[in-house]
Amino acid sequence: MKTQQNYDFDVIVVGSGITGGWAAKELTEKGLKVLVLERGRDVKHGSGYLGEHAPGWKQPFNGKPDRELEARDYPVQSKLYAFSAANRHFWNNDRLNPYAVDEGKPFDWFRGDVVGGRSLMWGRQSYRWSPQDFRANATDGHGIPWPVEYEDIAPWYSHVEKFIGVNGRKEGLAQLPDGEFQKPMEWFPIEKTIQARLRKSAPDITLTNARTAILTEDLPGRSACHYCGPCENGCSTGSYFSSQASTLPAARATGNLTLRPDSVVEKLQYDEATGRISAIHVVDAQTMARRAYTARAYFLCASTIGSTQLLLNSASAAFPNGLANRSGVLGHYLMDHFLSIGAVGMFAEHSDTYFYGNRPTGLYIPRFRNVGKRDDDADFIRGYGYQTMINSSNWMGQLNAKGFGAALKNQLSALPPTWVFYMAGFGECLPRKSNRLYLSKKKDRFGVPQVAFDFEWGDNERAMGKDIQKQALRIVNAAGPAFAIPIGDTENLSTPGAGIHEMGTARMGDDPGESVLNRYNQAHDVPNLFVTDGSFMTSASCVNPSLTYMAFTARACDYAAQQLAAGVI
Amino acid sequence: MDRREFLECAALLISGTALQQRAFALSSEQQQYLATADDYVSKSAKLFSTAQRKLVAAAAETIIPRTETPGAIDAGVPHFIELMVEDWFNDGERAIFMAGLADLEQRIPAEHGKPFDELGDEQQLAVLEALEAAASDSPWYQQGNIRRAFISDAPFICQLKELTVWGFFTSETGTKEVLRYNPMPMKFDPEYPRKPGDTTWAPPNFYR
Repeated sequence: MKTQQNYDFDVIVVGSGITGGWAAKELTEKGLKVLVLERGRDVKHGSGYLGEHAPGWKQPFNGKPDRELEARDYPVQSKLYAFSAANRHFWNNDRLNPYAVDEGKPFDWFRGDVVGGRSLMWGRQSYRWSPQDFRANATDGHGIPWPVEYEDIAPWYSHVEKFIGVNGRKEGLAQLPDGEFQKPMEWFPIEKTIQARLRKSAPDITLTNARTAILTEDLPGRSACHYCGPCENGCSTGSYFSSQASTLPAARATGNLTLRPDSVVEKLQYDEATGRISAIHVVDAQTMARRAYTARAYFLCASTIGSTQLLLNSASAAFPNGLANRSGVLGHYLMDHFLSIGAVGMFAEHSDTYFYGNRPTGLYIPRFRNVGKRDDDADFIRGYGYQTMINSSNWMGQLNAKGFGAALKNQLSALPPTWVFYMAGFGECLPRKSNRLYLSKKKDRFGVPQVAFDFEWGDNERAMGKDIQKQALRIVNAAGPAFAIPIGDTENLSTPGAGIHEMGTARMGDDPGESVLNRYNQAHDVPNLFVTDGSFMTSASCVNPSLTYMAFTARACDYAAQQLAAGVI
Repeated sequence: MDRREFLECAALLISGTALQQRAFALSSEQQQYLATADDYVSKSAKLFSTAQRKLVAAAAETIIPRTETPGAIDAGVPHFIELMVEDWFNDGERAIFMAGLADLEQRIPAEHGKPFDELGDEQQLAVLEALEAAASDSPWYQQGNIRRAFISDAPFICQLKELTVWGFFTSETGTKEVLRYNPMPMKFDPEYPRKPGDTTWAPPNFYR
């Protein structure tokens, strides 16, 4: 297929994160000339990971946060567990690139501002949706029905899993379909003990490996995990999936990729005569120079919030409420997962062994509530899963211990006699029209209106939060700890956005009157426009969503390439 | 293992064509890496007087003494404390610290006839224990979860202990000679044997 002379590229992809990288790979491998526009700085694989393996004594303030700088430049990003001096250069500078935090309602928007986006710092959890997840809206009437079934997506899950490398264990559960797994990571003895006890005293619970996009077996150009620990600082060996390690090199290898960092997309230009996007307008983040590019098709992979912001800002006479928004739902039905509710148990067994290496993931307890049908004792619909971790204490956990001298020194450095098992739920959020993002009157330094949020958790989430804590305590106690305590605040759920699973706002559906995108992530109203980041999500499931975004992206690329080849687009 | 050695090791691990790209990437930007930057404690500080430096060194060594392994002074903790008080503390925190220091500078010679750093080990310990007893209802001690921001109104003794403990266990000496350190484990063994006297692994990242 040849690029027609009147276009700069066959396809322009906005964003180089988890979905943008996938769009670049799939489209270039089909022979299409692709331009990827990334608003952030370039970060090269390996050489761009400036904080990787930096020990405490090399870090500013030996690892204590630079409080003045973070309060000034990273007031939102620095709230996050994964943020540190060793990876600060990956995160958005909240002063330079703000959103309207003082409008609407509280919402934490954690965002990268580099090539690779959040694929560099993500949690790497990779779960398939279940058939029940894709039918949830149709079953209980919240939101609109999904236009696809699990069977439509399953081959694309396999396609993605094989390429990114997911380590996990097959369990044969209907509510968490198995995938194409590399060998699972090893378990701590205490985790095996907990599993054995749960099989007897809580047989409804499955404890399995967290399915994680970290290699336990080499893939071409990437090596198995070396267990250093803090993945979010970048990984030179490409042992976890990121755009840098995986999709962008594949796209580059075709010779069909052009990647432009520092390219802030301002708006898409709609041509009423053809009914298509005719150009994309870009501001250079370094020089502030403006220019436009043209292509036959456009893929928005700029993150849920970024893509919807762009569509809203691309309003025109034909689309006064935002591009491709004849339905009026653009910006609405924003969702996230609420988290940090669960329980902690301390165990005195297995104090005869320690560990070597840092396993950069934990175990997972798949959804067990309302599976197949609603549980009689559940005062909520849908469900949740738990991520679990083992903590072996060290000096940081006793930073404020009383005492002095050799006894204190020994206490702070000796091996702990206990293991701590931590479990925290990720709860599904219902799609609601009132939960939305919108454009503020305030503009950023590029002249683009800032985003503001109106988002509140609902009664179903609050009821589920109470159950998450109650069941977590039941599960931990069933595992026979020395003692257990509940964690999290069921009265005040986590700050919206803190799950970093923001999704929805350009949902897909069969009815153009109720959805922005069709079943192939193609805009109902504009045939050469595709949106494949989390904004297409019609419901939220309770599992971490990135794998699903990747699968839908690959599928949309396949469809778009066919449409381009057939001359339909 | 330093950063360059690590990257070379990483390059060897990676199969196929990526190797050549990696060798190219290795040759640039090395000097910008945190892992090859100057140590934080190599910065100079000019906040404390000579007498105050002696006092802080003696106090830090009382908190974490040299035993069969290095102590706070061996690990450069006194200088770390001065840097942090000068560089990292806000004005209110610094005022608390300097007032605590001034109190010891004045009170100890008045009570004992000589400065803190010239007292015997037991006397130094007794002075700090008395400070801790007086501060024991501070929220600093009550934090079950130490994943928290620095407690800005923590008393002097708590500031001194937090900076000493933090500075010691994040120092190169404390990390390598008191704790155990391996930035490239290459495997995960969940049933690693324990021997008497074993210490914990230096954590690969820090609570904030």
